Amino acid sequence: MSRTPVTDGAGLTDQSASRRESRVPSLRRRLAAAAALLVAALTALAIPAPAAAEDATPSAPTKVTFVLGIKQDIDSLNPYVGVVASAYEAYQLMYDYLINSSDKDFSPVPGLAERWETSTDGKTWTYHIRKGVKWSDGKDLTAKDVAYSFQRSIDGETENGQYGNYVSLITKVSATDDYTVVIETSAPSPSMLRLLVPILPEHTWKDIDAKEVSTFTNDTNPVGSGPFKLVEAKANQFYRFEANKGYWGGAPKIDELVIRVYADDEGLGQALRNGSVDMIQDVSAAVWESLRNVPGITTSDSKYPGFNELAYNLGAQTVENKPIGNGHPALKDKRVRLAIDTAIDRKTLVDKVLRNHGTAATGVIPPLYPNWHWTPGDAARTFDLAKANQMLEDAGYKKSADGIRVGPDGKKLEFRLFGREESEFSKDNVAYIADWLSQIGMKATVSIMSEDKLTAVIGQGEYDMFEWGWVVEPDPDFQLSVFTCDQRSYVDAGEIAAGWSDSFYCDASYDALYQQQKTLLDPAQRTAVIKQAQQKLYDDAVYSMLYYYNNFEAYRSDKFTGFTPQPSDGGSLVFQYGTYTYLNLAPVSKTTDTGSSNTLWLVLGIGAGVVVLAGIVGGVFLMRRRSTADERE
Amino acid sequence: MSETLTPRGIVRARRRAALAAFWRTFRRDREGMTGLVLLALFAFVALAAPLLADESGLSLTRATGPVLAEPSFEYPFGTDKYGRSVLTLVIWGSRISLLVGLAATLISMVIGTVVGIASGHFRGVAGGALNRLTEWFLVIPFLPLAIVLATVFPPDVPKIVAVIIVIGVTSWSGTARLVRAQVFSIEERPYLERARALGAGHWQQMSRHVLPNVMPLVLANTTLTVSIAILAETTLSFLGLGDPLRISWGRILDNAYSGAVISTGSWWWVFFPGASVVLVVLGFNLCGRAIERILDPRIKSRV
Repeated sequence: MSRTPVTDGAGLTDQSASRRESRVPSLRRRLAAAAALLVAALTALAIPAPAAAEDATPSAPTKVTFVLGIKQDIDSLNPYVGVVASAYEAYQLMYDYLINSSDKDFSPVPGLAERWETSTDGKTWTYHIRKGVKWSDGKDLTAKDVAYSFQRSIDGETENGQYGNYVSLITKVSATDDYTVVIETSAPSPSMLRLLVPILPEHTWKDIDAKEVSTFTNDTNPVGSGPFKLVEAKANQFYRFEANKGYWGGAPKIDELVIRVYADDEGLGQALRNGSVDMIQDVSAAVWESLRNVPGITTSDSKYPGFNELAYNLGAQTVENKPIGNGHPALKDKRVRLAIDTAIDRKTLVDKVLRNHGTAATGVIPPLYPNWHWTPGDAARTFDLAKANQMLEDAGYKKSADGIRVGPDGKKLEFRLFGREESEFSKDNVAYIADWLSQIGMKATVSIMSEDKLTAVIGQGEYDMFEWGWVVEPDPDFQLSVFTCDQRSYVDAGEIAAGWSDSFYCDASYDALYQQQKTLLDPAQRTAVIKQAQQKLYDDAVYSMLYYYNNFEAYRSDKFTGFTPQPSDGGSLVFQYGTYTYLNLAPVSKTTDTGSSNTLWLVLGIGAGVVVLAGIVGGVFLMRRRSTADERE
Repeated sequence: MSETLTPRGIVRARRRAALAAFWRTFRRDREGMTGLVLLALFAFVALAAPLLADESGLSLTRATGPVLAEPSFEYPFGTDKYGRSVLTLVIWGSRISLLVGLAATLISMVIGTVVGIASGHFRGVAGGALNRLTEWFLVIPFLPLAIVLATVFPPDVPKIVAVIIVIGVTSWSGTARLVRAQVFSIEERPYLERARALGAGHWQQMSRHVLPNVMPLVLANTTLTVSIAILAETTLSFLGLGDPLRISWGRILDNAYSGAVISTGSWWWVFFPGASVVLVVLGFNLCGRAIERILDPRIKSRV
């Protein structure tokens, strides 16, 4: 779930993951958790003092540290490489953007550009850059850095793969003076205030050439201008950021921000309970609910612009219309997809999987963006197994002796259904869907695979159906581009490379709608076209939309205050399009320090646990000794 | 009686007598009998699952119970987060857990026995190489190897088959070592020398003379390996590497853990499947130890 920019022609295979909501790889993390627990226990036993000191606020007692617990590790701190949501959270902390999205309602507000104007033909945009902004190494941030960052996203292959969609209409970027940037476009674009390209310092990045950029880690003292500065990074463990007290948007009230990586939901929940983290997010409904009545903890099921879907292989082809992969031909038949769609009870999914913290989904733009969101109203398809059966019957898919329907081409309706190892939600969803399909004469063979593997499989077209989700940007352009013909896979040096499309939908009238909205400046007109595009997707059952979900967040309200939702009406507190919470966070009271006593108890607890464990092991060992001694008699 | 006249008949009669003697001794072994009763109980549950609990109780969409309900008269083992009866899950889970355990053990025993006999029989480079291979598998930590294998298995192979094979091919080395040591002692016996003198080939020696003599050892070892295999299946399932859509005990534990069983305090969701694993493993161990005691005269004389 991230706001990775869009590639124009086609994204690299692994980039598809970036837009995807991504919940945690359970296995690896769980092993890591076990190992971490062991290490923690050993440390606690051997040297309890340093272990305690590490958790309590280090060095100066006045230093205020906020710890955010996450499950998904930052894959790269290099903003041209990273693909997961947590990586984009780090970029927001380290760097600035031209225009920001407001915390109130996502509307564009000044970022590095304090004001802007556009020419009468709408093709030339002038951005006036804030004066007096400094890089963290003390140098001035100027329009040249802005122009450099945009030019790099246009020219560089890796860079364009990451931020291509924002610059696809741009023909020229220039810094006319130290504080003015002029961007010219080939056509008027409604998205010129939504250019999420991070502004990087030219003086350090010019040394990173086109070849090096794809492997550059950017984890040692990166120079940035954002509200926080990265000081220490340990992959899969923690990321320590220091507040930029001279930030143009106001100095953060905390001194230090630590993002700590946890293994799983249970681990996160326990860490919040015992105070070793101050906030957690994207945890399962069950863990979140268990925290609701814990004193000192406040929970929030925040509105979030994400949805989950069941996606179909509509007949995988490359952009040159060359068939690839091995999708089941019956899924090209719209009537089959509509029948499947009718056999999915979204109410049950919302009820059981999300525990009612979400709503049934229709259009691909979530209701959190009310201007763009489309809903079929009374024309919505409703759950009806009998009707679904009848639809298949009418379409000529008759049941064979074993109860599985057979198509007119003689092929059985036996499908592969892929779910994601990383997500409990996904596993639940595919289990439910497989169950419903079995009730309409279909057979779904479920495989659970890693998101990496699934991304590759989708790109090759080697699937029938899968479950995944998207997090949608404030501007709908990217989400709609996913369904265009150009986003299908393409052949690069003899290999099939993936675009953003995961349905291989290709429809000329849809493409026309997409292109139309890209240059419509009138919001009402653009909205109408965007809604039309969503209806087209719904009518063609390109996806079976499952639900819009809330982000489950919980935090220590006894220790910190200032959590700022986006949008302000019950929105997400972190992983926003902005850094509002981090800027506003403040300790509740400087004298209360419940953390250290909790830490002490934790250490004592672990110590006691180790002693008990040692006792058991020792006991077993003694018993074994005794029994072998018996045998030796 | 005609069979006493033929050599085969004599062998058969002798084996039957040995079996009867074995059963008499086993029956007197209290631990062994406890284990056997436990196993019989679980075997019954697994075989009679369709009679004991309706399979539709495994279906998510047809679950009728309340979510995470404590054990009650209606749901003796409580319910899980989908509203399914944990008792039904445990009953049906016994099938997969036992099936995987037994099938994996079969693979493990076949590989272990073949490699063990071959490496004990062939003294030269071939035997040495096989022995090195065995040692190599012995020193690789089991869990990481099993995880790697389970992860790289082709996706079109059913996960349950993958798990069986993974456990099978990672757990044979101990058996191979045991068999090899036994083969060494058997190969020194005069009747093998005689067989060699009479011109018996390698295959004849191994299959007609060595194998029957290591078989009791293999059988005793099998019983112990099953419990390891069941634990391995539970472990892999718990780590999310099992067959996600077939309910096994490990899968119930995995579901429970990811379903926030600790945070919600729904102990029944882990206790009953966990206790089942413990009891079955205990059963196999008790039986295995008893068989070992009976077959190994050195242990027997000292008991």
